[in-house]
Amino acid sequence: MIMKGQKRKHPPEDVEVSDPSSPTWESQRQFVFSVSLNKYQRGQELPEPSLRRSVLIANTLRQVSREARRVPSVDVEVPPPLCSSSSELQESTLTGVAPAKPPSAVMFSNSHSALVSCPVVSLNNLSNCDTSRSPATCHLSALNVPLSVKDEDEDWGSMSTDSDFSLSAAISSILTALDSTIDGSPQAAPRTPLRSLENLSGPSDGGVAWGKQAVRGNGGSWEQQEEWRVPESSVEVMRSSFLSELTVEDLFQDIDTSLLERDMGVLGLRGSGGGYQAGDDLLRYLQPFSSSFPPSNPFSVSLNQNLKCLPSFSSFCPLSSSSSSLPAFSSPNLVREGLELEHLMEILVES
Amino acid sequence: MLSPIQVLCSDITTLSLEPEPFASYTEADIISTVEFNHTGELLATGDKGGRVVIFQREPESKSEPFSQGEYNVYSTFQSHEPEFDYLKSLEIEEKINKIRWLPQQNAAQFLLSTNDKTIKLWKVSERDKRPEGYNLKDEEGRIKDISTVTSLQVPVLMPMDLMVEVSPRRVFANAHTYHVNSISVNSDYMTYMSADDLRINLWHLDITDRSFNIVDIKPVNMEDLTEVITAAEFHPHHCNLFVYSSSKGTLRLCDMREAALCDKHSKLFEEPEDPSARSFFSEIISSVSDVKFSHSGRYLLTRDYLTAKVWDLNMESKPLETYQVHDYLRSKLCSLYENDCIFDKFECAWNGSDSVIMTGAYNNFFRMFDRNTKRDVTLEASRESSKPRAVLKPRRVCAAGGKRRKDDISVDSLDFTKKILHTAWHPNENIIAIAATNNLYIFQDKLNSEMH
Repeated sequence: MIMKGQKRKHPPEDVEVSDPSSPTWESQRQFVFSVSLNKYQRGQELPEPSLRRSVLIANTLRQVSREARRVPSVDVEVPPPLCSSSSELQESTLTGVAPAKPPSAVMFSNSHSALVSCPVVSLNNLSNCDTSRSPATCHLSALNVPLSVKDEDEDWGSMSTDSDFSLSAAISSILTALDSTIDGSPQAAPRTPLRSLENLSGPSDGGVAWGKQAVRGNGGSWEQQEEWRVPESSVEVMRSSFLSELTVEDLFQDIDTSLLERDMGVLGLRGSGGGYQAGDDLLRYLQPFSSSFPPSNPFSVSLNQNLKCLPSFSSFCPLSSSSSSLPAFSSPNLVREGLELEHLMEILVES
Repeated sequence: MLSPIQVLCSDITTLSLEPEPFASYTEADIISTVEFNHTGELLATGDKGGRVVIFQREPESKSEPFSQGEYNVYSTFQSHEPEFDYLKSLEIEEKINKIRWLPQQNAAQFLLSTNDKTIKLWKVSERDKRPEGYNLKDEEGRIKDISTVTSLQVPVLMPMDLMVEVSPRRVFANAHTYHVNSISVNSDYMTYMSADDLRINLWHLDITDRSFNIVDIKPVNMEDLTEVITAAEFHPHHCNLFVYSSSKGTLRLCDMREAALCDKHSKLFEEPEDPSARSFFSEIISSVSDVKFSHSGRYLLTRDYLTAKVWDLNMESKPLETYQVHDYLRSKLCSLYENDCIFDKFECAWNGSDSVIMTGAYNNFFRMFDRNTKRDVTLEASRESSKPRAVLKPRRVCAAGGKRRKDDISVDSLDFTKKILHTAWHPNENIIAIAATNNLYIFQDKLNSEMH
């Protein structure tokens, strides 16, 4: 129940701490979030998790994520609810992957496919694979079976492991935030801070909602094929933009991407060119954060500030090579968020 | 029943074979369901090992006045065995989730028992006579030598030691994808329903290869799933009405006359959330773990994690009465969530006259609330405090650090591994059956035997 590397704390008592402005509220929220995440993941590992329990934990995770967004102390604009962000992503995939978008689009479809395979699979396993032939279940069980559709399918299917899924989820969320800011809309939610973890919470949550949304957007025919087609087109566009390659690589330079390599390889993300300044800059910002983070701060899953620093890429895209326009950030928040990201990655990689 | 609070313990019956107080028990001995039959003469318990034990009440006898009303073991049989689902590579637990008796229609008794997937109908019959005096067979059953038969006799029925025979009459299988949590016999005595997490099926007692699906809340995409069915029961008098509860704290009353598929409810019982009491666990603690119609059919009793509520069927907006079972746990929800106790499913029960409700709690405590006098009592079901004929002492839980009287127990000292999830109340008399892990306790109110 305790995350690796985390000191065991006495669970914060809540005497009806319903007031978000109270100091204990945030710590309790974080506690509940981490415990819920753990529980959910553990539950999924069981051969036959209790459906009631899983649903309750997933709902709690969702609620806690929503509460985080509501809290004014975390510096976020009111983010769009889950489904609209899904549709936002859907749009990004569908509305001709513009050059500026490739990174997130690609990653989205990458993770999106992985997400579709993994969480849906897991939730379906959870629900003890219905014998009824509903399209969703057909689609899911098909994922576990070698498909004749495309060779890639088998890759995706075999990659539908929790760790891949988690990583992809986290990555995709970060990059979709990037994407949304690249979009240019100022209010385009700095992607909600908990987006990545919502995806982690998985099948009943954002991750597969994406799949569903995208699938619907794709015309709802044999869903499988539609999804696989998306990465292909994105790859094409992607290859033409060195920005994306570098962005992705550099962003995760300090994170074990061995699991990602496969994904990247499939999408042709390998072998990025020389160090693009934007990526380096980001890393320069990220790395110091993780090392200087004071240990007393509790694990926080609000990646919002981190995501806010990503917008710096938008100023680089697609042709700008200047790295000077990185905005100034308030360091304490970023420091915290930096460590949060790292913690998050740690947990995900482990799981 | 509660005033004066004098509940006499008339019997303690344990299911474990060793009578010593501290004998260890296996997990298979954990009682998972308790149910009186319609007359209260028989009490059935099911355990995690798939066994059913039926107790019978000794008839009153003048010669031994104190043995009146004691329950003794009547029959034991293995109802369900562990199974393996080869398609999904999953083991199906043999734990008995629910037992429901059928009303008696002839000399035999019938009960339905269910595990996660399969419901079985068992016939319990007595044999206390056997034919003797066959012509062709001797007493031991060996064929007689015909030459020794000189005259014919008519076999006569001679009394014998009582033998209880239990035989499976029907097996209702393969109708549930998810785990069956409830079964309920209809008042028409011909049909019954079984409910799992997402669906409710209607069966005919004589037909095992078909069932009708009457409720299906499974979303097209499982990712959209946010609510599951937690309990279901038929109305005691109206064979077309039934109620089911959900993990979001709602109750739905459905009328089978309206449509074949009762996804649309006739009535929705939901209490609006109190914004001041909102916490991260609001939804989890609102999940209804048990729902029971009153004997009159007019009220519904529901149990969620911290409260028991009585609803009037005519009022959907809020419950008629709310009883705090263990509100001292409200400040401990975080810890209880961490150790999974928050997911415990407590059952609840009405007394025969619908004037008192009962439900279990932690530390082997159970609570009874008198709806008329508004008085309540906390009692403990444990060996130490329940010697035969002893009077149960009311217990009190005090908040940590609060003023503490002698014999009070503080919230922090509660044993959360000792939970009373399953309780049953005799249909006519003030006799209750309490399942505490592997032990069964039967308590009787000797002073006030009759319901009032």
